[in-house]
Amino acid sequence: MSIGRDEVVHVARLAELAVHDADLDRLVEQLNRIVDYVAQLDRVPGDGAGELFLPGPREVALREDVPGPVPLTRPPGELAPEFADGFFLVPRHGAMEEP
Amino acid sequence: MDWETVIGLEVHVQLGTRTKMFCACRTTFGDPPNTNVCPTCLGLPGALPVPNAEAVRLGVRAAMALGCTVHPASVFARKNYFYPDLPKGYQISQFDQPLATGGRVAFESPQRGRIEVGVTRLHLEEDAGKLLHDRFPGKTAVDLNRAGTPLAEIVSEPDLRTPAEARAYLVTLRQILVYAGVSDCSMERGSLRVDANLSIRRPGAAELGTKAEVKNLNSFANVERALEAERERQIGLAGRGERMAQVTLLFNAGTGEVRPLRSKEESHDYRYFPDPDLPPLVLAPEWIARARAALPELPDARRARFELAFGLAAYDARVLTSEAALAEYYESVVAAGVEPKIAANWVMGDVMTTYNETGAFPVEAGRLASLVALVREGVVSHQAAKRVYTELARSPREVPRAAAERLGLIQVSDQGALAGWVDEVLAAHPAEVARYRGGEAKLMGFFVGQVMKRSQGKADPKGVQPVLQEKLG
Amino acid sequence: MSAAAVARAAGERLAAADAAGLNATLHWSQPLLDAEAARVDAMPAPGSLAAVPLAVKDNIVTTDMPTTCASRILEGYVSPYEATAIRRLRAAGALVAAKANMDEFAMGSSTEHSAFGRVRHPLDPDRVPGGSSGGSAALVAAGVVPAALGSETGGSVRQPASFCGVVGVKPSYGRVSRFGLVAFGSSLDCISAFGRTVDDAARVLSAMSGHDPLDGTTLDRPAMPVPEALPDLRGLRIGLPKEYFPPDLHPGVAAAMQRTRAVVRELGAELVEVSLPHSAYAVPTYYVVAPAEAAANLARYDGVRYGQRRVGPAGDIHALYQATRGEGFGPEVQRRILVGTYVLSAGYYDAYYRKAQRVRALIAGDFRRAFDSGIDLLLTPTTPTPAFRAGEKTDDPVAMYLADIFVCAVSLAGLPALSLPVGRSDGLPVGAQLIAPFFEDERLLAAAGALERSVAADAEVR
Repeated sequence: MSIGRDEVVHVARLAELAVHDADLDRLVEQLNRIVDYVAQLDRVPGDGAGELFLPGPREVALREDVPGPVPLTRPPGELAPEFADGFFLVPRHGAMEEP
Repeated sequence: MDWETVIGLEVHVQLGTRTKMFCACRTTFGDPPNTNVCPTCLGLPGALPVPNAEAVRLGVRAAMALGCTVHPASVFARKNYFYPDLPKGYQISQFDQPLATGGRVAFESPQRGRIEVGVTRLHLEEDAGKLLHDRFPGKTAVDLNRAGTPLAEIVSEPDLRTPAEARAYLVTLRQILVYAGVSDCSMERGSLRVDANLSIRRPGAAELGTKAEVKNLNSFANVERALEAERERQIGLAGRGERMAQVTLLFNAGTGEVRPLRSKEESHDYRYFPDPDLPPLVLAPEWIARARAALPELPDARRARFELAFGLAAYDARVLTSEAALAEYYESVVAAGVEPKIAANWVMGDVMTTYNETGAFPVEAGRLASLVALVREGVVSHQAAKRVYTELARSPREVPRAAAERLGLIQVSDQGALAGWVDEVLAAHPAEVARYRGGEAKLMGFFVGQVMKRSQGKADPKGVQPVLQEKLG
Repeated sequence: MSAAAVARAAGERLAAADAAGLNATLHWSQPLLDAEAARVDAMPAPGSLAAVPLAVKDNIVTTDMPTTCASRILEGYVSPYEATAIRRLRAAGALVAAKANMDEFAMGSSTEHSAFGRVRHPLDPDRVPGGSSGGSAALVAAGVVPAALGSETGGSVRQPASFCGVVGVKPSYGRVSRFGLVAFGSSLDCISAFGRTVDDAARVLSAMSGHDPLDGTTLDRPAMPVPEALPDLRGLRIGLPKEYFPPDLHPGVAAAMQRTRAVVRELGAELVEVSLPHSAYAVPTYYVVAPAEAAANLARYDGVRYGQRRVGPAGDIHALYQATRGEGFGPEVQRRILVGTYVLSAGYYDAYYRKAQRVRALIAGDFRRAFDSGIDLLLTPTTPTPAFRAGEKTDDPVAMYLADIFVCAVSLAGLPALSLPVGRSDGLPVGAQLIAPFFEDERLLAAAGALERSVAADAEVR
């Protein structure tokens, strides 16, 4: 399997990463090396189905419904690149597609 | 040409917990922006999710109330997409191993009578934050108080055939969920949200047509309106021989129109995978059994029981079971000794009026039962009892008899007092007296009414007529 | 010695290391160190780590210093909450002395992928200290701090420990809380410890360990006690997985391992050859699983709520996301995000991600079978070569990945393992890896203590 330029552009868009045209060929080459390398997993017999491997607990531990979050030593406004009247701000994007 | 409409609904219901799905922040509605936030729901580096047991319990209860199979193991998965209201760049949801599958909702279709609609699945997930587009010029404002609120997503089968049927399904679904104590299901506060899928096809066709998804439906009435608009749009396209593109639409309640959202193919590649921060959600068989035992009686079962146990008409039983609180109040009135049909009349009358206005039952069952007993014993008239009820609703500690006395509504059957009112009425209506004596016997009703009026409802109507007959005879 | 005096001495050593160009620290200051010391000196009872100065990898959040993950995208970010591990270490009396340089977001094996410059190997500035926890390893190796925190996703503590000649211990997955460890590959990530000695590292691990209600992947078991080093290795069956001793192993590493085997035998252990056939696939499996998880874990760096923000010419939300992430992440991080996005995307999930999960289960199954057959511990080289030269592998991502060929499988299986210095080859340290069954961290450390006493870690091998 190999990844083409279009596919790299598509994946970069899914990941919201700006890729400059000048870097694209090199990136395509590197990603192909990585993907070709991991493709050796094909050689392991098996149809790909199988149990999820869990390194830790077998089942999730639940939390009681009691308020008491981990407190913030500094409020959100001190972390944010742009903040006003209690809100985080981003460029207007009314036309952006809904998820 | 005929078209069959095929509708499926996705309903998001906020589960009635005190804290969020994966962190201990409060779920309070309407707090100042970004105040109910913590490292986890802000998606800060290094923060981790821990699921809320109560959200799981309520999700399981919803699933059982909808007749779903609750799975002993389900898996939280990451749904990956970028959006400013989504702090982590993924939503924790459930994908190929949801909490529950395979339920059904039975209800009266306006077109087809009683039908059952399949519930494909119910899964748990976290809500996103809220975006405000009109508060800062050129900016979108992000409030993450709602981010992480627990939701159950309930997906129906494409079993609905008309917009009105979709609405009826929603009404029943909401009734069941509120009954089960899962959610308050308030569309105004966003604790119930609906996305609808609609397609058209030739009657009898097995294949589904290309579907459109309609979002931004903020009331059940608008679900119906939007689906009607979309159905017309699709039939129009088909009539002109145009191909339907798979599209997402926003409904504008102001114009009653649906408008397509800009669509991008990659926006649908969510790259789901099991969330490595969350091992599987495993529910022991005993836990599931306990949850089933704790499930409250649901509207359909209660309605049937009311008809059978209390001998109520189907309509009355439906009204009395429309809400759990109303049904419980009714049962407590019967338990307090009121004959079921009389109790039904009271609860469906004055009690329901008060409840609809105030959301409460200020006259507890025992007091209402005493009031009904006063009527039965002839101490107050039915008319007077309604006034006493209004008074009791205002003064929470007063007993019915005291209120009736204070208002002077105790029925009078004393012959002297009755004779006094009768004399006054006859003196005030000489013409009618003459006509009665001339043979117009039906005027008796008129005189009784006048006496009741003059006595301000206190006269015992059974005692009035003999006195009248004697005086007019 | 008072914590105040310790803090002054530690500050002098940190300043000297910085002046020498080690580039192992990202943040520290004498006033903060003094404040830490004052806090510890005021503690009513000395804790188990009283006045021990620690370096902390810069992907573990602290409220008094920035946490940047050596990335431009988090430049200047100070966390408003503290990691559970840090809270526990502070409560045990440790001094959080410095934040250590690392590969950006822990992605790398040489600490050359830091946005703030590469870390020098303490013994040879032209060589790398290993990675991704290279700053922590270098600070311990240079004698600046007795112990340090690193993090492991696929060997990022054991591999630099081996390169730098210090002890590096990765606990069982779920033994130490990840709450406050900036996520890379969540099903693999473990806060881990470096020490000059096994005991140093064990004491740090012990203080951090134990169930944390804020991390649903910690096991509900009590903290690990600090184990006593065994007097010898009598009665232990130690497995030598043949796949970990390939014919092309670096001769210095092979010689050091041969000497180590002899010492282990002298200490009374029985050596048994075993096979872990699927370990051959550990690196490719890792390079599907870890990037997939990373692609999702790093989606939160979007320039909306914290961290650096850039906005591209279009000025819309996509321009914000793409410029923030395109300029904020370095090339290796971007490569891994792209690979991770690719292997999860529609049409490829089964071929890559699902397949990798299945192979992961097979890799873990090999270990389980070996331990079930009566093997108490496994012994392997930690790395195929000693520390390599800076720049040697930066142009070839796959060559860099192969530096982790002996450490990846353990991470995939979630097992406890450590690297112990066992000799030098041309002056460069060589480490041996010991691996224990799941949650047998104490057995691992107790046995390593015995080996540590008997092996000539500073002696050149032939």
